[in-house]
Amino acid sequence: MPRGVWFSVGVVLLFVVLPFVYGNHDLLFSMMMYLVLAQGINVLFGFTGYLPFGYVGFFGAGAYGMSLAILLLHFPPFAALIAGAAAAVLVALVLAPLLRLSGAYFAIASLAASEVLYYVISNPHLTSITQGPYGINLAAVYDSSASYAVMVAVLALALGMVVYLRNSRTGLALQAIREEPVSAGFAGVNVVRERTRAWLMSAALAGLAGGAYAWHVSVFYPKPVFDLNISVFAIVFTLFGGVATLSGPVVGTLLLYGLYNWIGISQPQYFQLVFGVVIVALVLFLPNGLVSLLRRVGANVP
Amino acid sequence: MSLSSVSRLWLFAGAVLLMTLVTGIPSRAAGIPGEIRIGTLYADSGPFATSSKSQLQGLKFWVDEVNRAGGAYVRAYHRRIPVKLITYNDRSSTTTAATLYNQLITQDHVNILAADFGSVLTSVAVPIAQEHRMLLFDQTGTGATFFSTKNPYIVLTSLPSSAEWPYSLADFLKSQPQITRAALLYATNDFTGSQAQTLRQRLHGSHVKLVFDHGVPTSTSSYALLLHNVQAARPQALIEFGYPNNDIAFLHDLQASGMKFNMVFTIFPGQLFALMESSVGPKTLAYTYTYPTPPLLVYNRVNYGPGLDNFRRAFRSAGGKEPNFLNIAGYNTGLVIQKTLATAASLQQLAMRRSIVSFSGKLHTLNGTFRIDPATGAQTGETLPVGQFIPAGKGLAVRMLYPPEVATGRPVYPAQ
Repeated sequence: MPRGVWFSVGVVLLFVVLPFVYGNHDLLFSMMMYLVLAQGINVLFGFTGYLPFGYVGFFGAGAYGMSLAILLLHFPPFAALIAGAAAAVLVALVLAPLLRLSGAYFAIASLAASEVLYYVISNPHLTSITQGPYGINLAAVYDSSASYAVMVAVLALALGMVVYLRNSRTGLALQAIREEPVSAGFAGVNVVRERTRAWLMSAALAGLAGGAYAWHVSVFYPKPVFDLNISVFAIVFTLFGGVATLSGPVVGTLLLYGLYNWIGISQPQYFQLVFGVVIVALVLFLPNGLVSLLRRVGANVP
Repeated sequence: MSLSSVSRLWLFAGAVLLMTLVTGIPSRAAGIPGEIRIGTLYADSGPFATSSKSQLQGLKFWVDEVNRAGGAYVRAYHRRIPVKLITYNDRSSTTTAATLYNQLITQDHVNILAADFGSVLTSVAVPIAQEHRMLLFDQTGTGATFFSTKNPYIVLTSLPSSAEWPYSLADFLKSQPQITRAALLYATNDFTGSQAQTLRQRLHGSHVKLVFDHGVPTSTSSYALLLHNVQAARPQALIEFGYPNNDIAFLHDLQASGMKFNMVFTIFPGQLFALMESSVGPKTLAYTYTYPTPPLLVYNRVNYGPGLDNFRRAFRSAGGKEPNFLNIAGYNTGLVIQKTLATAASLQQLAMRRSIVSFSGKLHTLNGTFRIDPATGAQTGETLPVGQFIPAGKGLAVRMLYPPEVATGRPVYPAQ
């Protein structure tokens, strides 16, 4: 059995069982959404070293791809979800030349690309196609239970993808590219192909998450699904837990998003202070994330 | 000594009666809630913070007032019950707002759910409220897509649906024979885009032609070039629909450009007068047109709650500052809730909606006449008239122009 499978099954089962004991399903849904996005960031940043600040662009493309497949093509929701993922992958293909950049240049370029996408989607001259800035209404197909179940499935897929990368030659190749692309190329790794594959896989995850989110909220405007904060949260959760691991983004999201909501609900006046102190402390003392702490004491972290 | 069968019967009946009294009274009392829980969200950071906090302040003011009087009268229990306001901070994020609306419903079990400010933060509440069969008291979320005959779980309390805002403006333009050429400049979002669409439709076929019709991103902060384009079309009236940041940038650039138009209309000077006056100055606002809302629009002839002047005095003495429209909108939501509790036969959500329909059109508050479309819950009362800022002393006064029943004077046209 590949490493991490039981951990993944445990996480998925947790979100299957939790709705029966905890009533705030939207909180659970949002947590799963960030888990998927954090794993998407993990696939790209953790395994290839490319940090996409504009990752939310794929999320928004998925949300709009799903919505427009329902509104314009009259797809059923499940087929539309696939269309949402396809839209995100299509955007990723168009933006694939960005991978020629690296470091901060790539991060900023991806951010600019997501902004361009937002302005195209919300362009009033495209209202007949994208509804422009006036928002999407999927009330006719709204189904919170089904969309929750879909997000559980997407979470399982995201975790499965990382398990695959952690245990496959592809994952090793990607990590080799992250460390030294030239040497990886000399060693027989097709750098461009493998990097593009990770880029597309990461985009597909965000697209699926965006599609499930669109179905779940059913009424939304362009700005909230292209909100930079979504990228920032996913990146922070991933870094908080630890990249290139299966458990890091999971631990990071569960703890940090849990803290975000707990403080936000119980002690909102201290929210920014507590959240800021936690992140500063992590950056100073645990730059490789929480799971690095467990590794230091010899734990075998998936 | 043995009791006769008749005596035993009486004894038994007495015991049953006693038990009924002893056990029955507490059980009835236990059915009465100790408080009415009202849940809402606010944003203390992000783009909606200023408006959201003002709205919440108005709602809190109502809660304090009601609780000082011993609570809100709840018809379902024939008594006054204290009101508890449960609030969470969504930080202007729709994702956080969705979670917190759900928290209010599923964890706090609020009796009444009120939305945060504006359409964006209300949008996520609409399906959640519908799913949980909670009536959403939508305070200022005017997006037309929220209201449909399929969703009985929403009521817009303090503003008309945005598509209805320009009714008076369009009619006013059509009533002015000297205006034949108008320019429309609007921010492309649901709020102002739907107003632009309505204005277009209502001017269509009239003597007023739109010689310039252009949408700009809501983030637009420079209107200088656009104003030159507008001027080239030689309109007699320039209508600008935007959010406060758009209106401020537009009015600033208009002043800086030195251009003169016979009529200039913007939305938010009528709602956030103090903010707009301090941002662009009274000279820039002089002779411009707007939708005046309370407190610029004074409703003292009310049949529920205080009139505007009394409210203004009470608000000032409580907080030391002049109320703005969003304070009044939040307070007005409280009045609608109060009336709902006082008239609904039970606290069931659809019973409350039915009671709202029953007093719709008959409730006159400091925010105007509360009237909803019984099929959709959209606000159709509380209409927005057209007014013009006229210099008065060192400041400005609002002259009501349209509709005729609220008019206090004639327009100064062309603007001086």
